[in-house]
Amino acid sequence: MNCQPKDFKSDLKPIWCPGCGDFGVVQAIYRALAAVGRLPHDIAFVSGIGCSSRIPGYTTAYGFNSVHGRALPIAQGLKIANPDLLVLVAGGDGDGFSIGGGHVAHAIRRNIDLTYIVMDNQIYGLTKGQLSPTSKQGLQTVTSSLGSLEQPVNPLLYVLSYGAPFVAQGTPADMAGLAAVIEEAIRFPGFSFVNVQSPCVTFGEDDWQLKQHKAVMKSLQSLGHDPADVIAAMRLAQGYGHELHTGVFYRAPQPPPTYDALVRARQQEQAGKALPRERVLELFAAKKKETAA
Amino acid sequence: MSVQGLDYGKLSLQDALDLAVLIEEEAKERYLEFADQMQVHHNPEAESFFRFMAGNEEKHRAELAGRRQRLFADAPSKVSSAMLFDVEAPEYDEARAFMTPRQAMESALGCERKAHEFFAGLLDQIKDPSVKELFQELRDEEVHHQALVKRELLRLPPDSGLNPDDFADEPVAQ
Ligand SMILES: Cc1ncc(C[n+]2csc(CCOP(=O)(O)OP(=O)(O)O)c2C)c(N)n1
Ligand code: SF4
Ligand SMILES: [Mg+2]
Repeated sequence: MNCQPKDFKSDLKPIWCPGCGDFGVVQAIYRALAAVGRLPHDIAFVSGIGCSSRIPGYTTAYGFNSVHGRALPIAQGLKIANPDLLVLVAGGDGDGFSIGGGHVAHAIRRNIDLTYIVMDNQIYGLTKGQLSPTSKQGLQTVTSSLGSLEQPVNPLLYVLSYGAPFVAQGTPADMAGLAAVIEEAIRFPGFSFVNVQSPCVTFGEDDWQLKQHKAVMKSLQSLGHDPADVIAAMRLAQGYGHELHTGVFYRAPQPPPTYDALVRARQQEQAGKALPRERVLELFAAKKKETAA
Repeated sequence: MSVQGLDYGKLSLQDALDLAVLIEEEAKERYLEFADQMQVHHNPEAESFFRFMAGNEEKHRAELAGRRQRLFADAPSKVSSAMLFDVEAPEYDEARAFMTPRQAMESALGCERKAHEFFAGLLDQIKDPSVKELFQELRDEEVHHQALVKRELLRLPPDSGLNPDDFADEPVAQ
């Protein structure tokens, strides 16, 4: 059976503010899932807490709107327990890079086959406009009335530095491009990360909405970027915050083995060394006798 | 606005009809989504306008789908909804919780204009005369739709002058 994008749309009506970038993101996810060709019941979609984290409920996949900052550990457990599921993880910049920031590194180094989509609006949307880790320096918010003093986290450099094998960025200002990078991320065998510049129309900056994205976005392909070149990817990723590059920054030319594959290899290796059942029972009986004496 | 993976020069009449049906369907679905958004945010005036637009798009879709059925029955289609990106559908950032009916209509008018440009812009690339004729018809149809929306706009009282961006109705925190 072939699914169409609308087969992934649930009956739940989104409560996002009309105009929110996240509407485009969920639409791009429907398109990507239809292209990948997995059925809704073969997909698990885990999120944290935030406006963006409501996204699993708007799809027909299995969904888990979990705990703030804890989407990645839950998704990793889920994938290990049920490796046949296609696992998507989503959340906000706050969810992923402040409270949940510590989990990102470990999800990357374990290289569990899942796709992590961050809807980066540079603000805490759900809690009404506080500074987020990706807010630019000087941003005035309810928690920084004189302007933020801190350097923003650069999500692209963050994941590249931890060795993420697939890193991309998109914006709903280019829906076709966004659907394409999400599809590619899902198809990638291993941990894949997509940063989506998804503006918050209510608490975000007026001069960083989709109209501005359209005016400045540049596809990495049009710049002649080679996604196999991690150093070039890191150089381009430094543009985060003042340039808007879309497309694939880095795709490991030889995807490293996933955690799953390493576990299977370890099991096979150990299976050869295992003692026969009778010998194990013998040893067990001897030990029992010894302890009883 | 874009369509991915189609070579317009090679479009057959069947493909062109399939594309036209899907364009109307995409617009209808988006207007329904907008109507639902307005319902969630208690804006019945904009909601009813978006439902009206969804009804118009559906009428046009059904008419084109009927034509496709009569000419090509159930022949499998080469065009899929996943190839279309906001051809006639309003883009998501057009909506606002407290948009006025006038703003809703202006956004719809913009969509009729972009659909007109889409069909007009393709004509040069089309080789098959029957496809060209269909696209000319669709282009002219969009002018008729624009007139419909303009007529509705004329009936409206002027806006209050308030900016909907100054008001929000954001989700409740968890
Ligand atoms: C443990 C915990 N701490 C704090 C909160 C309050 N809280 C809910 S969402 C959120 C931040 C949301 O920002 P982000 O992750 O960027 O998502 P957005 O709403 O912008 O999409 C916070 C601090 C919470 N729910 N749980
Ligand atoms: S508050 Fe911002 S992030 Fe949350 S739904 Fe509204 S526009 Fe989107
Ligand atoms: Mg945020």
